[in-house]
Amino acid sequence: MKRELNITINGQPYNLFVSTHRTLLEVIRDDLDLTGTKVGCEMGECGACTVIMDGRTVNSCLVLAHEAEGCEVQTIEDLTEDGKLHPIQESFVEHGAIQCGFCTSGMIMSTKGLLEKNPNPGEDEIRSEMRGNLCRCTGYVKIVEAIEAVRDGGDK
Amino acid sequence: MKGNIIGKRIPRIDSVPKATGTAEYTVDLKLPGMIYGKILRSPLPHARIKSLDVSAAEALPGVCAVITAADVPMGKFSFFQWLADKTIFSSDKVRYVGDEVAAVAAIDADTAEKAIELIQVDYDPLPAVFETEEAMTADAPLIHDQESNIGFKVERHFGDPDNAFESCDFVVEGCYKTDRVAHCCLEVSNCVASWTPEGRLSIWTNAQAPHTQRQEVARILEIPLQDVRIINSHMGGGFGSKLVMDMKLPIAAVLSKKTGRPVKIQNTRAEEFSTAKTRYGYTMYVKTGAKKDGTLQARTVRVIADNGAYHDKGPATLNFSSMMFATLYNIPNIHYEGMVVYTNKQMSTAFRGFGNPQLTFACEVQLDELAEKIGMDPVEIRRINANTPGQKLQCGAVVPTCGLRECIEVAAQNIAWKEKYNRKDKLRGVGVANMVHTAAGGRYYGYNATDSFIKVADDGTVSIVTPGLEMGQGVHTVVAMIVAEELGLDMKSVKVLSNDTDLTPYDLGSWGSRATFVVGNAALATAREARVVIIETAAKMLDTKPEFIDLENGMAVARGPGMPEKSVSMGKLAAYAINNMKAPISVKGQWADDIPEDWDIKTEFVKNVRSFAFATQTCEVEIDKDTGEVKVLKFVAAHETGTTMNEMLAEGQIEGAVMQGIGFTLMESMTLDNGRVVNDGFLDYKLPTFGEQPEIDVQLIETGDPHGPYGAKGIGEAGLVPTAAALANAIYNASGIRVTELPITREFMLNALREK
Repeated sequence: MKRELNITINGQPYNLFVSTHRTLLEVIRDDLDLTGTKVGCEMGECGACTVIMDGRTVNSCLVLAHEAEGCEVQTIEDLTEDGKLHPIQESFVEHGAIQCGFCTSGMIMSTKGLLEKNPNPGEDEIRSEMRGNLCRCTGYVKIVEAIEAVRDGGDK
Repeated sequence: MKGNIIGKRIPRIDSVPKATGTAEYTVDLKLPGMIYGKILRSPLPHARIKSLDVSAAEALPGVCAVITAADVPMGKFSFFQWLADKTIFSSDKVRYVGDEVAAVAAIDADTAEKAIELIQVDYDPLPAVFETEEAMTADAPLIHDQESNIGFKVERHFGDPDNAFESCDFVVEGCYKTDRVAHCCLEVSNCVASWTPEGRLSIWTNAQAPHTQRQEVARILEIPLQDVRIINSHMGGGFGSKLVMDMKLPIAAVLSKKTGRPVKIQNTRAEEFSTAKTRYGYTMYVKTGAKKDGTLQARTVRVIADNGAYHDKGPATLNFSSMMFATLYNIPNIHYEGMVVYTNKQMSTAFRGFGNPQLTFACEVQLDELAEKIGMDPVEIRRINANTPGQKLQCGAVVPTCGLRECIEVAAQNIAWKEKYNRKDKLRGVGVANMVHTAAGGRYYGYNATDSFIKVADDGTVSIVTPGLEMGQGVHTVVAMIVAEELGLDMKSVKVLSNDTDLTPYDLGSWGSRATFVVGNAALATAREARVVIIETAAKMLDTKPEFIDLENGMAVARGPGMPEKSVSMGKLAAYAINNMKAPISVKGQWADDIPEDWDIKTEFVKNVRSFAFATQTCEVEIDKDTGEVKVLKFVAAHETGTTMNEMLAEGQIEGAVMQGIGFTLMESMTLDNGRVVNDGFLDYKLPTFGEQPEIDVQLIETGDPHGPYGAKGIGEAGLVPTAAALANAIYNASGIRVTELPITREFMLNALREK
């Protein structure tokens, strides 16, 4: 059954007509073609689909689209400003925190959520907060370095 | 080496698209008119198909096509065609939980899923067998129409091990086992096939070896090779899982032909865990003998590899592990016997290290046991047996460069071996393991060569067409660095074109740590060819001699005795070549491995490897006596790189591989219930997370290589080859528990600690 859905994604209000069983991830990727948000497991286990919904990070595969009614959602596509990389993106690039890149959008969104909550997390907090995001390529070393560099640069 | 570009910590050329979400992967692809395919898979590990009824599925609104064995070519297929044993769909019997039985295409994924559930299959269950050694017994159920479940055998032999063991002062024997583990690429296996009316089949997929997969698709569909085109997008991980064609490629192709529309088939994560193939599980009976001074005299092994239900890379995996077995140390008497054995499980395939992590685990754990018997320090026994540069091994291999002794030195020092070994407090200990791995892929195709092309545009951009297959490891960045280095450019001026078999020269793909070596060598040859043409053009333009020209900062600069310095930009130079010389600058370069024509893989199997890379890893662990948790405190990974092309990327390869190795050793395992994978999600299949990552101290040892580009060796796989053995040896040092089977779970440790 389809129902009306009013949602703001990356500052753009949308008036959509969406089946009640569909997830926020499906709407973002399949209906709006914002494919920067990745699909890894559809079970909330890998973090590749992480987006920020009303200020907190969520696995968009675990959120029914209609649960996001009236919400503001931010995806990876919204991070650059006038073609300039966000400091987190810049740091991931500079520190070699990206290999295949499939987990990267989720990693960057989780990092943004973490630093907005606590601009000065210790290494242990970074590791425990980021635990829901899996990476099979990098072994996490350079991702942690990239996050610490953003933290120490005072940017978020 | 430090050039202007080579050796520097340069960010990947694809990292900005990946950091901004604009990099397109195959799962992101949507073509006009595209519909969705889904495969019906066997729910039973071994059964006869009595009947199949697709009528209800066909009648479901939204279904575009339903296909079964009756709709596809049914010739048998395998990566090695002489071992062909699998058809696109099973028609008579299924051999594992996940075997392809039928497929549908529908207007959306939900309808396809519903249609699959409407297909009626009547199965007659057969007895199934899941353990290799059980499958080898005389009364085991036969999985294929063969006399036994042993699918392939290989033997390698030199010297006289039997006699040599007699004269050894110390001999140890043991059985070691490694589990089947999943690659867990974050992007699932998927493809889009479009078979258009002019007879052209285009398949977009995440393939590690597009050119050989193209051949495989043509072979299984019985169509001309020229009709098939494979296109790669960015790829969400490979690790060996995407070398051989998956059956979803021909299935999507036939569905596309039937419907006249592009068809996408994408695994669910559960499907990926159950059907996307695993690392070969090895059971290894190993025997090693040494003199009392610690010199190794003889070693034998019998490897039983778990094939799963069908052949894939098994023979090559066994062959490769035999080579590494023979070259890690210079042991004069060796016998290697390997076999792959069918079981009613999903197929196994290549996985980073290609049989070597399994065998290195067994051999390097046993070496510690031997050292203990002799009364020798584990580092010392490795040092005295280490190969040296220029050494010709008794098995016939030559190691022109070898940094193993430096690796041992730095790995021992950085873990504080002398202070920490045998400290016997708080269940803490250190471990060490060596390894050797190919630094240049393998030659067993009988062919190991590739080309690339360069063009210089009148805007100063240099484009290179390379077959280098980027799966996340960084080969496109390495290729761009080589071009920039040779032509005096910045990284932004180099464009890498790849990913389409219609465009790129033939190449065997990204596997065997070969991409930097093979594709890099071709890029280097092409760039040097371009350099000659560019300099000749500049000499004409600047009215001087080629020997006075240098390329730097995007300019050709003329400097000579008694002449004023003159320069011209790469763009103007290219325009001059086009407009004034009627000769646009475009060149071709190639690299070909000089494989001896009379090479016989059977008798000279070690020559399969062009260049070797050695490494030593050490680690420190602490075991929690209450939970059995093995906490990895630190890893030192000292790896020979030949020449480090890009420190940051090289570290990244090794750090990532060490973490995969930690997963392989301590966490990862497929749990089966009557052949069905029970832990088919990341919640139950434990992957290392941020929390398990120890400090990883990567040491890159530059020893050069006579054949690699700038002396580089491939390092893509090496990082996880010695990891399991180093960890198991550290666990022994910490607890006195000798581990011979992977994974080393908490339950195992807890029980072992209680029994002590």
